[in-house]
Amino acid sequence: MASHGVPRVAETAQRTEAQRLEEERQIREYRDLEELISAKIAERQYTLEVLELTSKLLKKNPEYYTIWNVRRRLLIYGLFSKPSDSSSHLTASPNSSLTDTTKASSENSSSSTITTSGASTTTPQNPAFPNRGRNGTTLDLIRGDLEFLFPIMVKYPKCYWLWNYRLWLLQEANESLESDIARELWNRELILVGKMLVKDSRNFHGWGYRRKVVSELESPKLGGRSMVESEFEYTTKMIHGDKGLSNFSAWHRRSKLIPRLLDERNASDETRRQFLDDEFELIISAMYTDSYPYQQSAWFYYQFLMTTLTDYVGHGSITPNFTPEDRAEYVTRQLVILKDMLDGAEDCKWIYNALIDYTMALCRMEERKPDLDERQDCATWLAELRKLDPDRSGRWDDLEKSLRD
Amino acid sequence: MESLSDTKWDVLISGTGLQNSLLALALSRSGKKILHVDENVYYGGAEAAFSLQEVDEWLEKIQGDISSKPFRNASLWKAEASDGTAGLSFSRAYTLTLSPQIIYSRSKLLSNLVSSKVYRQLEFQAVGNWWIYDGETEASLRRLPNGREDISQDKSIDNRAKRSLMKFLKFVVNYENLTETWEPHADSGLAGFLSRKFQLSPSLQSVISALTLSFEPSDQIPVKWALPRIARHLTSIGVFGPGFGAVVPKWGGAAEISQVACRAGAVGGGVYVLGTGIKTSETVTEDGEQLSKVELSNGENVKTRRIVGKNTGHDLANLKSVSKIIAVVSSPLTSLFQSSIEGSPLAAVSVLVFPSKSLPEGTAQPNPVYIMVHSSETGECPSNQCVLYATTLKSDNSKAVLEAALSALLKSTEDDEGKLLYSLYYEQEQQASYASLDLAFNDEILQAVEDQWKTIMADDNGTLEGSFMQFEDREGMNNDDDDGDEGF
Repeated sequence: MASHGVPRVAETAQRTEAQRLEEERQIREYRDLEELISAKIAERQYTLEVLELTSKLLKKNPEYYTIWNVRRRLLIYGLFSKPSDSSSHLTASPNSSLTDTTKASSENSSSSTITTSGASTTTPQNPAFPNRGRNGTTLDLIRGDLEFLFPIMVKYPKCYWLWNYRLWLLQEANESLESDIARELWNRELILVGKMLVKDSRNFHGWGYRRKVVSELESPKLGGRSMVESEFEYTTKMIHGDKGLSNFSAWHRRSKLIPRLLDERNASDETRRQFLDDEFELIISAMYTDSYPYQQSAWFYYQFLMTTLTDYVGHGSITPNFTPEDRAEYVTRQLVILKDMLDGAEDCKWIYNALIDYTMALCRMEERKPDLDERQDCATWLAELRKLDPDRSGRWDDLEKSLRD
Repeated sequence: MESLSDTKWDVLISGTGLQNSLLALALSRSGKKILHVDENVYYGGAEAAFSLQEVDEWLEKIQGDISSKPFRNASLWKAEASDGTAGLSFSRAYTLTLSPQIIYSRSKLLSNLVSSKVYRQLEFQAVGNWWIYDGETEASLRRLPNGREDISQDKSIDNRAKRSLMKFLKFVVNYENLTETWEPHADSGLAGFLSRKFQLSPSLQSVISALTLSFEPSDQIPVKWALPRIARHLTSIGVFGPGFGAVVPKWGGAAEISQVACRAGAVGGGVYVLGTGIKTSETVTEDGEQLSKVELSNGENVKTRRIVGKNTGHDLANLKSVSKIIAVVSSPLTSLFQSSIEGSPLAAVSVLVFPSKSLPEGTAQPNPVYIMVHSSETGECPSNQCVLYATTLKSDNSKAVLEAALSALLKSTEDDEGKLLYSLYYEQEQQASYASLDLAFNDEILQAVEDQWKTIMADDNGTLEGSFMQFEDREGMNNDDDDGDEGF
C-alpha cells in the first residue's frame, strides 16, 4: 500500500514449506468464505449472520467491491427497518438471528418486527415518535458499519471502496433517518476525517471526503449553515502544519473556498485588495523557504492568485472590480518580486517560467507587443529553462515560437 | 531474615540517581545478586522529586553541610498568604523535581524504556511550544520556528533571511555527510560560523543557538558540539505525533524513571536499602577472588565483587556549575501552551529561552537563561498553577538573573496575572560528566550504563549474554497495564 514518502519494497523473501502451507490454508479459508457467502445470497438469506461473514471477508480483502455490494443489499433488503406495513423483500428464513445479536437495540423491540415477515406488532409504534422504530435499528446498523469500517480504513486509507461505502452509509442515513440524527452522524464524520488527515495530510481521499462532509453539514436539508470560514481556517492550519507548504490538497481547497469566503464576508473592494495582498505575501514567503528540488504546490497556488489579474474573465473572483490599470500595476509588481526572488534561486525553473508567462500576459493585458528589453529578458529566461529542464525541450521550442510571434 | 553480610554480592550500587537506577534496570534480568543502597531516605539521588515538606528536609541537609555536593547554596522564599489569591496548596499537592530534563524523541532512552518493558509504568507528556524572549519588541515572546512551515509564517524574519535560515536547516539535518562545510570550523564559535557560512543575523543566531540548550552564549558554543544537538532537535519533531519533538515523564521527570527502574531492579531480585551509604571499603582476597569489603553507614559489613557509584571524589578541574530556581506560579499560563498545529496533543511543558543580553537593562546577563514551564498536567502542582524550572550558568549575579527572567516571563504572559508563590534557589555542580547538568537527557548517560553493564555481565562468562535493555514481558505483567502507548 502506497504512502507518501514510504518506498515500496518488493516481497521476494523465500518461503519455507511451513509458510507455503500456511498460505495455502489461508487461501482455502478465503475461498470457502467466498463460496459460503455466494451460496447464502443465492438463497436470499439476508441476515446478520451473512453480514458477519462479509465482515470477515472484507477485513481480509477490502478491495473486493462485489462483497461491498452484497453488504449494501443485505442492509437495504434484509436488515434496515422497514415501515410497519412491510410488504418488503424480506427473506423467508425464520431463523434470522437478529435477537441473538447485539446490533438489535435492546430497548427497541421493533427488532422483532423484522424477524416475522408480516406486519409486526409486539409493540405498537408510539404515535408521538412514528419513526422511532425505524431510526432505532437502522441507526444501530449504520453506526455499527461505520465503526466496522474505521479500523479497516486506518489500515487501508486509500482504498476507494471503503470511502465509497462509508459515503453510501451516510446517504442511507440521510434518506431513512431523522435529519438531526443524520446530522449527528455527519458531525462525527468531520472529526473522523480530521483524524485521517492528521495521519496523512496529503491523502486526497480524505480531502475529497471532507468536501463532501462539509457540503452535507452546510445543506439546508440538515439544517446547516455555511462553514466556509472554519474550512478556510482549516486550510491555513494544514498549510502551516508538517510539510504543509507542499500540501497540494490544502492549497487547492483554499483556492476553492476563497470566492465564496469573500462573498459571504461581503468584502468591499478595499478588503478584497488587502486579502489579495495578504495571500500574495503568504505564498511568496512560502516560496522563499523552498529550495532545490522546488515544490510545485506553491507555484500552482501562485498561478491561481495571478488569474484574478491576468485571466479575469470568469476568474476574477478575488478582485472583480479591479480596473485594467490596477491589474497591470499588480502584475508589474509581481514581475519585480519574481526577478528579486531569482537572486539566490537561479536554479528554480518555476521562476523563469513565471517571468516569461506573466511578461507575455502583461503585454496582452496592455494590448501591446513586448518591447526590446522584454524580448531580451524572455530569451535569457528561456535559455535558462532549457538548461534547467532539458526534458521538456519540445515545450520550450513551442514557447520560443510563441514569443517570436 | 538473612542479613546483608551473608550474601556475596555481585554488584553493590551506591546511589539511586538516574544513571545507577538505569543500571539496576539493565541488570534486572541477569540473575546477579545486586545490592542497591542510597544514603538518602528517598529514591532518585540528584534527580529526585519532592513534596514541599521533602524540599524543606532536603534544604536543611544542604544548608547544614558546608561541603555539600553536588547541591549547595540553597535558599527558599514563600509568598505571604494574601486574601483573594489562592496561595500555596498542601505539601503533597506538589512534586518538585531536581530533574526536569526533556527527553528528545530521538533519544535512545525511550527505545530502551520500551524494549525493557518498563515504559508501561511511565506516562510521557509532550513538550510543546518553544519560545524565545526578545526584549526589543512589544510582544516579547516569539515562537521558536521548528521547521519550514514555522519559518514561512514568522513575520519577524524577512524573506531573504528565511531563505538563508532554510539553507542552514537543510545543512544541519544532514551535517554528518557534509563535513567539508563545518569540520574546518569544528572548534569555532557557533555565532561566527552561522554568520560567515550562512549569513544569519544575530537575531537568527540566537534562534539557532537556543535549540542547543547551551549554557554558553552563542559565540562560545563550539560548532561540533552544537550541530548534533540542533539536528537532534529538528529531526525529533513529529516523530511521535504532530507538533512536538520531546517528552517528559509525568510525576516528576527523570525521578519517576529512577523509581520505575529501581522497582524493576527489585522485581529482578535486587535488594534495596535506603538511608544507607558506603562508609569505607577495602579490597580483600577470598578464595582467590578479589572482592571489596564494604562497611555501610548502618554498621553492616558486606562483601561484593563490584562497586558502582562510590563517590570517588572530584579530581576533575573546571567543573561547571549552574544556578537554578524552582518556582510555583499562581496561574496556568495557558497562552504558553496553545498549539497552532492540527492534531497535536495537549502539551505539559513549554520551553522558554532568554538569549544572553536579552533581559531588560539593569540586569547584566552574559549567559542564556532557560525556563521550563510545567503545567499541572505534569502532576507536579495543582491545576491553575505552574511549576517553573529556571537554569543559567552560575556567576556572581546568576540568582538575580534568574529572578529577572522569571519576572520578565510573568510580565509577558497573561497580563501580569501570575504571581510567584514559592521560589527555591540552589546551585548544582556537574558530576562526572556534563550530562548531569544537561537540560535535555544526554545519551552519554546510557552509553555509560551500557559500558558498566557489559563489564559486569562479562564477569563469570567472559562473554556477553543477552542484549542491553532487551527484555521479554514477565508472565502476568502485561495484563495489568493498559496498552502501553505513551499516554498522548
